[in-house]
Amino acid sequence: MTDRYPGYDVMAKRWTPSWNEQTRRVVDQRLAVLREPRFFSGAEWRTLNAVCARIMPQPKDRPPVPLPAYVDEKLHMRRLDGYRYAQLPPQDVAWRRGLAALDDESRAVHGAAFHTLASDQQDTLLGRMQRGELTSVAWGDMPCQLFFEHRVIPDITHAYYAHPLAWNEIGFGGPASPRGYVRMGLDRRDPWEAAADRGV
Amino acid sequence: MSGRPSHSALGLSSAVLLAAAALALVDRHAARPWRARIPALRKPTLRGKVTDATAAVRAARRMNRAAGLLAGSVLADSAVEHYRGSFHNKAMIAPLASAIFSLAVSAHGNADKRPVAHRARDVVYSGAFFTGLLGAGFHLFNVSKRPGGFCWQNLFYGAPLLAPAALILSGATGFLSERVRDTLPGRSPTIAGIPAGRAVAAATALGLIGTMGEAGLLHFRGAYHNPFMYAPVSIPPVAAVLIGHAALGRARERRWVTRLFLRLSAAMGFAGVGFHIFGVARNMGGWRNWSQNLLNGPPIPAPPSFTGLALAGLAALGLMEDHPDD
Amino acid sequence: MSTRDEARAAPRAINGRAPDVFRRGEWVPMREHAEEEEVDFVVVGTGAGGAPLIARLAESGFSVVGMDAGPYFRPLEDFASDEREQEQLYWLDERICDGANPIVMGGKNSGQAVGGSTVHFAMVSLRFRPEWFKSRSALGYGADWPLDWREMWGYYQIAEQALSISGPVRYPWGPRRPRYPYRAHELNGAAELLARGAEALGMKWTATPLATVSAPHGRSPPCVYRGFCRFGCSTNAKQSQLVTFIPRALAAGAEIRDLAMVGRIEVGANGRVSGVHYHRDGRWRFQKARNVVVAGYAIETPRLLLASATDRYRQGLANSSGLVGKNLMTQSNQAVFGRMAQEVRWYKGPPSLAITEHWNYEDRKEFFGGYCWMAQGPLPVEWVTIQTSSRGLWGQALRDAMEHYIHQVGLKMVGEMLPDERNRVTLADEKDQYGLPIARITYSWGENDKALIQHALGQMQMSLEAVGATDIFRQEDDTNHLAGTARMGSDPSSSVVNADCRTWDIPNLWVCDGSVFPTTGGVNPSLTITSIALRTADRICALAARGEL
Repeated sequence: MTDRYPGYDVMAKRWTPSWNEQTRRVVDQRLAVLREPRFFSGAEWRTLNAVCARIMPQPKDRPPVPLPAYVDEKLHMRRLDGYRYAQLPPQDVAWRRGLAALDDESRAVHGAAFHTLASDQQDTLLGRMQRGELTSVAWGDMPCQLFFEHRVIPDITHAYYAHPLAWNEIGFGGPASPRGYVRMGLDRRDPWEAAADRGV
Repeated sequence: MSGRPSHSALGLSSAVLLAAAALALVDRHAARPWRARIPALRKPTLRGKVTDATAAVRAARRMNRAAGLLAGSVLADSAVEHYRGSFHNKAMIAPLASAIFSLAVSAHGNADKRPVAHRARDVVYSGAFFTGLLGAGFHLFNVSKRPGGFCWQNLFYGAPLLAPAALILSGATGFLSERVRDTLPGRSPTIAGIPAGRAVAAATALGLIGTMGEAGLLHFRGAYHNPFMYAPVSIPPVAAVLIGHAALGRARERRWVTRLFLRLSAAMGFAGVGFHIFGVARNMGGWRNWSQNLLNGPPIPAPPSFTGLALAGLAALGLMEDHPDD
Repeated sequence: MSTRDEARAAPRAINGRAPDVFRRGEWVPMREHAEEEEVDFVVVGTGAGGAPLIARLAESGFSVVGMDAGPYFRPLEDFASDEREQEQLYWLDERICDGANPIVMGGKNSGQAVGGSTVHFAMVSLRFRPEWFKSRSALGYGADWPLDWREMWGYYQIAEQALSISGPVRYPWGPRRPRYPYRAHELNGAAELLARGAEALGMKWTATPLATVSAPHGRSPPCVYRGFCRFGCSTNAKQSQLVTFIPRALAAGAEIRDLAMVGRIEVGANGRVSGVHYHRDGRWRFQKARNVVVAGYAIETPRLLLASATDRYRQGLANSSGLVGKNLMTQSNQAVFGRMAQEVRWYKGPPSLAITEHWNYEDRKEFFGGYCWMAQGPLPVEWVTIQTSSRGLWGQALRDAMEHYIHQVGLKMVGEMLPDERNRVTLADEKDQYGLPIARITYSWGENDKALIQHALGQMQMSLEAVGATDIFRQEDDTNHLAGTARMGSDPSSSVVNADCRTWDIPNLWVCDGSVFPTTGGVNPSLTITSIALRTADRICALAARGEL
C-alpha cells in the first residue's frame, strides 16, 4: 500500500500539548483491548474474524487493528447505540443470528464454513447480504441488508477509524487538547499535522 | 461578507488632523494672514537661534533609536505572523530582512556622532520605506482576493493592512534622521524645505493614528474583553492631536502636555507587552501550549510600535525647540 | 477509576456541593432541598430549555431543583479528545425507530449530561426568521406560534449575551439585530469554500454565529480550534449550558441532581401535579414540588408525560388534545461532499464556521419551509459513517475513499420539515433498565419534505461544483434536531401548552424545551429554545406576582 503521510504517527504526539492525560488514558485502554472473545462463541468468532477481514482489509506489513476484539468488547460491555430499527432485534441477538445465518448461507452455497472460503467468495456473499439477497431461514425476521447496514458496517468500521493507525493512514490530526490548530486556511498545515508526500 | 466596515477609522483620522489644524489656527496671532499663521508654511529663516551641529546630531540619534525600535517591533511581529503564514509567499521574508538591516543601521546611527548623513543608512532606510509600501500593497491584494473582499471578517483575519506601515515609519523616521543630521553648520535642519522638527512631528501624528487604527481593529476583534484594551485607542489619539498641533503651531512653546502624552504612549507600548504576555498565558494551555498561543494569542511584539513613534515625537519636539523657526 | 468513570458511577452533586466545571477536582457550594420539602419548581432536564429556566427562576427567588439523567462533568478533566469515547455524552439507552424514514437516534439529536445536548452541540446559534412565528398566516404552512417575533427578538438578545455568542459584525439576513458580544471566528478552509461557492451562486454568506468565545470570557479561554466541538469541549471555550446557566443557577441557590432519572410525575387528588418519582443512587425517590417543568426534549418529554398516565389522565398528562407525542419534527440534514485538489483539513476548528441562509429568506420556490447550509468538518468515525451509508462502500474501496480525508469538503443543510401528526413518539412494550417503557419513534418524510431536500441537494451540489470540487456525492439520508411533541398554541384543542409553556390541562405542569415548537424553521433550534425558556421564566414571575401560579 502507499504511505500518503510518510513518517506521520499520531502516537508520536502523545507527550506534546496535543494530548492531555484523559486522552492518553482512553487511547491506552483502546490499544489494550482483550484479544480473546468474551461474548462470541468459537464458531461465531471465526466467522466474525473473516467478516472483519473483508469489510476492512488491512495491510500485511503491520499488525492488524484487532477489529473482532472491538466488536466483541462492544457487545460484552453492552454499549448501545441509542436507537434500534424496529425490524432489528437487540444488537446481541442480531449479531449471533446474523453470523450464524451468514455461515449457513456459506454452507448452502459452497458447502463450507464462511471463514474457510476464498476472499472473493466471501465478498460475493457479503455483497449479497448488502443487497438483501440472502434468504436462509436462519435470518428469521431480520432483514439481512439492515443487519449489514446497521450492525456489520458501523460496528466494524467505527472501531477501525477510532484507532490511531487509521488516523495515520488518512492524515487526521488525532487528539487535540489543550493544543488545537493555528493555520486554518486551504493548503495550510501546522508543524504538528501530517505532511503529505507530494510524490504520491 | 459580514458587513462592510464603516468609514469610522477614516473619519477618526481625519477628525484628528482637523482638530490639530484647528488648534493651530486658534492662535493668538489671529490678525496675520492665514499662510503666515501656520508656521510650517513659512520659509525657514536664519533669524532664530542658530545652534551648532551637535544638537542636530543629538536629535538625529534620537530618531535613529525611534527607527530602530520600530524596526525591532516589525522584525519580531512579522517574524511571528509570517511564520504563522508558513512563508507561503517568498516575499514574506522581505520585511524581516529589511527590519534587520534597519535595526543594524539604527544602532550604527546611534553610535555615530558625525554630523553627516551616511550613504548605507540612507539606502537601508529608503529600502525599509519601500519594502513597507510594497508590503502594504501585498496585504491589500491578499484581503481583496478573499471571499467577501474588504469586510470586517477579512480585516480581522486577512493580512493586516496597517502592519506594514510600521516598516514605512521606521524607514521614514530613519531617512528623516539622516536629513536632520546632515545640516550645514549654522543652518536649521529642513526636510524638503520644511523645518525638520515639524516634518517629523507630522509624520509621528500620522503614524500614531495608523498604529492606533490597527490596535483598535484587533482589540475590536477581541471584543475589548479587558478594559485596558481601550488604552491604545484612548492615549495615542490625544498624543496624535497634540503632536499634530505642535507640527503646525508655534515652535517656542514648552508643550509639556504633549510630552506627557507622548511619554504615556511610550510607556503604554511597553505595558502592552506585559498585557499581551498575560493574554498568552490566559489562552488554553497557557505558555505550555506556546506553539499555538504565541501565534493565536495577542501579538507580544506589536505594542512597542507606539513606543517607537512616541520617541520620534519627542525627538521632533526637541528639534523644534533647538531650531525655532518663528 | 478515572474522573469520567466517577461521574458516571455515582452522583456528584451531593452533600451541599457540585462540581466546579472550571477547575479540576474542585467544587462549588450548592443549596440542597429535602425530598419532603415542597420546592417551588422541579425542572426535569438541564439542557437548552431547562438550564436557563432553572437559573432565572432561582435568580428570581424561587426554590428550584433541576434533575438530569446524565452525569455532571468537569470538561477540563473528564473530556478526552476522542470521538468514540465521547459518545458517553449521548442518550444511548435503547429507543425503537420505525416509519418510512426511521430517525437515527443516539447521536447529535440527543444528550445525557448536565447541560443536555448543548455539551456536544455544534454551537450554531441562529435566530428564527420572524415570519416563522406565524408560518400559517404569513407563509401558508404549518401552524402559528402564540408568540410575537418582536418580543422574541428581545429574548434572543438576552440569550446571545448570556451565551457570549461570537458572530459577524453585521448579520446579512432578517431584521436588524444588536451586535454579537464577541467577534466571529476565523474561517477554516471548509468555510472559505462555502463562501466562494455562495459568491459564485450570487448568494450572501456569513461567518456563523457560534456559542464559543473568540476572546477570553470569565474563566473560558478563547477557542483553540481543536475541532472536537461535537464531542464535548475540553477547554470550556464552548458556552454550553454546563458552563453558563448551570453555574448561574447554583450561585442563585438552585439545586442540581445529576444521575437522576425521572420516571413518573405524581398527580394529586386535586388533579394537580405534586412532585416527581426519580431514580438516583440505586433506588426510587420522590421529590415534592409545587410545579413541575418537563424539559427533556422531544422524545423524553412526551415519554414522561405519557408514562405518567393515571386513572384520571388515562392518555397521559396534559394530553386532552391527544397531541402529546404527535407532530414530531426533525430537520433534514442532508449533505453534498466532494474532493478538492487543495488540502482542506476540515477537522480543524468548529465544524460550521460559515453559513448561507439564502433559502430561508427567499420565498420563490416550489415548496414550503426553508433551509440553510453550513460548512462541515466530520472526524474520521463520522466520515466513515457517511462514506458507508451514502455510498455503500466497504472493503478496499472504502479504504481507498477514506485516504482522501484531508482533501474532502462538504456542505450540510439544516432544513425545515413540516409537522405531521403521523410522526410521533409512543410507548413501546419493551422496558428499559429502570423498568420504564421505552420510546418508539415513528417518522416518515412528507412530499414537501422530499421536495425541499431535493432542492437543497441540487443547490449545494452547484455550490461545490463552482469551487472545483470533484468526485461529488450526496448524503441523502440524515436528520438532526428534534421538535414538536408538545406544541404550544392558543387553543387547548390543538396544542399542549400555551404561550407561557404552561400545559392547558394541569396548571402547575409546564413544558420548556424544543417539544413546544409548532414548526421547526430552517435553522438550528437551540437559541430559540433558550430564548423561550428565558421568556417562560419572566412569565412565571409575572404570573406569580399576580398570584396566578
